[in-house]
Amino acid sequence: MGEDRFNLPPGFRFHPTDEELVVHFLYRKVALLPCHPDIIPDVDLYRYDPWELNGKALSGDNQLYFFSQITQERISPNGYWKHLGVDDPITSASQTVGFKKFLVFYIGEAPVGIKTNWVMHEYHLLDGATTSRSSRRRGKPRIASNEWALCRVHESNCGDDGIELSCLDEVFLSMDDLDEISLPN
Amino acid sequence: MTMALNGKSRVPPGFRFHPTEEELLQYYLRKKVAYEKIDLDVIREVDLNKLEPWDIQERCKIGSTPQNDWYFFSHKDKKYPTGTRTNRATAAGFWKATGRDKVIYSNSKRIGMRKTLVFYKGRAPHGQKSDWIMHEYRLDEITDNNPQSNVSSLAGETSQEEGWVVCKVFKKKNLHKILHSPQSLSMTGEEDTQMLHASRDGALDQILQYMGRACKKQNELNNGSNSRHAGPTEPTFANGVHERFMQLPPLESPPLPPLHVNSSDQTSYLISNDGPDPNQVHQPEHVSDWAALDRLVASHLHGQSEPSFFSIQDHDLPLLHLRSSNDVDLWGFTRSSSLVPDPLCHVSRASI
Repeated sequence: MGEDRFNLPPGFRFHPTDEELVVHFLYRKVALLPCHPDIIPDVDLYRYDPWELNGKALSGDNQLYFFSQITQERISPNGYWKHLGVDDPITSASQTVGFKKFLVFYIGEAPVGIKTNWVMHEYHLLDGATTSRSSRRRGKPRIASNEWALCRVHESNCGDDGIELSCLDEVFLSMDDLDEISLPN
Repeated sequence: MTMALNGKSRVPPGFRFHPTEEELLQYYLRKKVAYEKIDLDVIREVDLNKLEPWDIQERCKIGSTPQNDWYFFSHKDKKYPTGTRTNRATAAGFWKATGRDKVIYSNSKRIGMRKTLVFYKGRAPHGQKSDWIMHEYRLDEITDNNPQSNVSSLAGETSQEEGWVVCKVFKKKNLHKILHSPQSLSMTGEEDTQMLHASRDGALDQILQYMGRACKKQNELNNGSNSRHAGPTEPTFANGVHERFMQLPPLESPPLPPLHVNSSDQTSYLISNDGPDPNQVHQPEHVSDWAALDRLVASHLHGQSEPSFFSIQDHDLPLLHLRSSNDVDLWGFTRSSSLVPDPLCHVSRASI
């Protein structure tokens, strides 16, 4: 599953911002509004280990996107997703519209599983976001069991994909401060 | 679904121009140097000398969606008619190369090179470093099997200082922004300090050691540059460099991982410490020492090599936070290395 169907020129791919994920995709999903393009599939996350998601979720730029119904037990056949405890707010037009949770996949049984490089960002709407705009500013959201979350899963590494500065670039960059030291170039 | 740019129509929500390095080189730059038509004018032509980095985002925007990186073609010109240096000065500052060029591969075949540059405001040598970074990609193919290649005659075979390049400009992520995010509240100062000390010394030792090997490799490349092959020549000088790195004085406290003298030991060090994905690390060494070094730096940044990190990882920290703290650490240890100027002077001398 990918962006092939859009007939876009090379280099265009699904690379949404947090705001787009929440406002365009998740909000419309939860509010039962038509979503165009309707490209993010529903996946029962907890039936699959993260490496099984390829082909079931929408892939874009090494990330896998899918909707999943929210559960508190994030257990898969061979491991579990551990919530890292802190949520990041997602804002749109200076209003908080949702939040994202950070999770890491562990192989084995909690709490003694082995940590992996699989990372999940789980996007949630703020409670009430679909009913009343004025209620968005409420505090800690209440999570209804029948709500949807939008999940973004990837395998993290500090690889040099040219998108950001690699760790090594950073080293060189900081060494430039050390009085014009020049390395082979 | 159809799309057009420049306001006539738009890219579907969530989609962006986010090309891989391979796409930039193989599709866009190859077409550019061959004067082929590119369907959509997504990458503009820019005169780098007349464009300040903060104007690039307006000039090179694609559609109306927010962007974090911008792309353009630029024609590199020599600074002086007789010299080999490229002129990258603008009215407000100049672009300065940093680090070492990276080889870009496609299906394990070399297709081009990437140079990383930083924008400095002002005039050399007193410029003030900014957060603007440019990756400059040029075609550079090994064409032994295909000497008649169009691309190589247009771009590759000429000097690397002239011809079309495709550039990506972005702003380096601001550390302070990440540091002041809510995540950092979950860490106590004590843990922070522990983390800073944990990866400082061992990391620098290993980096310098790798640099010794990288210098050696570079030396070989230089010697073989006429034939465009990296041949196994002249190991003596490079070994001398290596030896000198072996004799670096320890920094502040004893290095945590012992230095290994031969390269096979280094490989095993990487494999045993670099997280749960040995396949990624266990590449043949000849692929790229620099890639290995990068992973090494990464592993230190992520704290996977140091026992003292384990206690921290139990504290439910988001990955984001681990990363950001260690970025600080990275800057910390490079700064600390400036207190010991000698070893780095070796780098400088050895590489000239």
